[in-house]
Amino acid sequence: MKMFNMQTYQNLIDEYSPVTAENLFVLVGKLQDTFGYVPAGAVRDLAAKTGVAEARIYGAVTSYKDFKLRMEDKR
Amino acid sequence: MGKYEPLDLKAYEASGGLEGLKRALMMKPQEVIEQIKLSGLTGRGGAAFPTGLKWDSTAQEKETPKYFICNADEGELGTFKDKVLLDGDPWAVLEGIIIGAYAVGAQLAYIYIKGEYEDTVKLWEKLASEAQKAKLLGKDVLGSKFSLQLQVVKGRGLYIAGEEFALISSLETRRAMSRLKPPYPSQRGLFGNPTVVNNVETIANVPLILAKGAEEYRKLGVKGDPGTRLFSVSGDVKKAGVYEIELGSGTLRELIDEFGEGTAAGRHIKAVQPGGGTSALLAEDSLDCSLTAESIRSAGSSIGTAGVIVYEQGKSAVDIVKSLMDFYGLESCGRCAPCRIGVVRMKEIVERLSRGKGTTEDLEQLRQIGKACVVGSTCGMGQAFPLPVLSALELFPRDFEAGIAKVSV
Repeated sequence: MKMFNMQTYQNLIDEYSPVTAENLFVLVGKLQDTFGYVPAGAVRDLAAKTGVAEARIYGAVTSYKDFKLRMEDKR
Repeated sequence: MGKYEPLDLKAYEASGGLEGLKRALMMKPQEVIEQIKLSGLTGRGGAAFPTGLKWDSTAQEKETPKYFICNADEGELGTFKDKVLLDGDPWAVLEGIIIGAYAVGAQLAYIYIKGEYEDTVKLWEKLASEAQKAKLLGKDVLGSKFSLQLQVVKGRGLYIAGEEFALISSLETRRAMSRLKPPYPSQRGLFGNPTVVNNVETIANVPLILAKGAEEYRKLGVKGDPGTRLFSVSGDVKKAGVYEIELGSGTLRELIDEFGEGTAAGRHIKAVQPGGGTSALLAEDSLDCSLTAESIRSAGSSIGTAGVIVYEQGKSAVDIVKSLMDFYGLESCGRCAPCRIGVVRMKEIVERLSRGKGTTEDLEQLRQIGKACVVGSTCGMGQAFPLPVLSALELFPRDFEAGIAKVSV
């Protein structure tokens, strides 16, 4: 797990290109696994890329136990 | 299974693998569906719906694209058979997925694997790329005109995502929630298009049926319930594990005694759940039913996911159902009121009884709420989670009465 990094993000997008509603869930999952959270900026970007409403992606990210919107606190 | 390295495609082929797929690709899709219909194969995920009918109604729909989903989000309590197949015989599952997608005319397939099975997800990601190289996936599968992509999806920790519509919602990047049926997934499933959702074990049966023919397959098991099933045996047994049993070839008691090697502490059995955490409890005296869906149903429960959970004497039925309710209480998706509210209320009452603080009305309340959930819920979870509680009330009323406070509070 690493910090958010634009290059890594771009590489993931390329790997899943074209990003559509059909592979969106997998990609969001990859973001979670790669960065430890799903950055809000990425949610916005993916909404624009796929035409899926931002609210819907946000809704999904906040409902699953294994998705986080921000980095976990290190205690 | 277990005869070769799981990822070794050559060894899989050498042991008769891909035979079914090759045959299927030489047939018309409709002929493949006819074979599955003839075989009498029923779903292994809990609802036991005839697989051939499901495929047929999906194939009949005009709307395209169609989707084929392998449901590997094995969340039911006491069930772990799918993991064995996914890890031990992945090529057979993949072969079944390809045959199924071909039969219904899907060009995109998904396998939705329980997130907790992290190694399984990794194995399948590897398998998918190997399959691509071996021309099993991608354009022109094995030189035919049929093309198929497979997406390996990792589940994200929700029990309800194993319900077919909740799984579909999840793949649409929505909250995992069930929907009203009809329309069924075969009519309006993923992204509103015709979709098949099949359990892993169901799919694993498909290559065999195509390779050997439906007639041969029917020789296994009993009439009306052909084939074998993987029983996950767990709970208070000496030897928990997954055992493949030809349907009808033994009784529940034999399964527990011979394969499970009896109860863990050698005590008598108090109760058994034969079909996963949402199936009704069976008392010790009804364990002599044979291992078919039909006879387990007449005994008063259901074969469900074939997850056999054994409880020994010495446990209170209240504690048994409490542990179940503690789980289901967290997992209702909230789509419909009976389940959303009922599961929490039942959980509270059972908890109260287990602390000996119950009231005299509690038992009747449990019954009423449970029945309301069974009739009023949209999906299988809401309809089934009260069953263990209702059956326990029926079988072990004294355990529940013991939880009522002596002096009313």
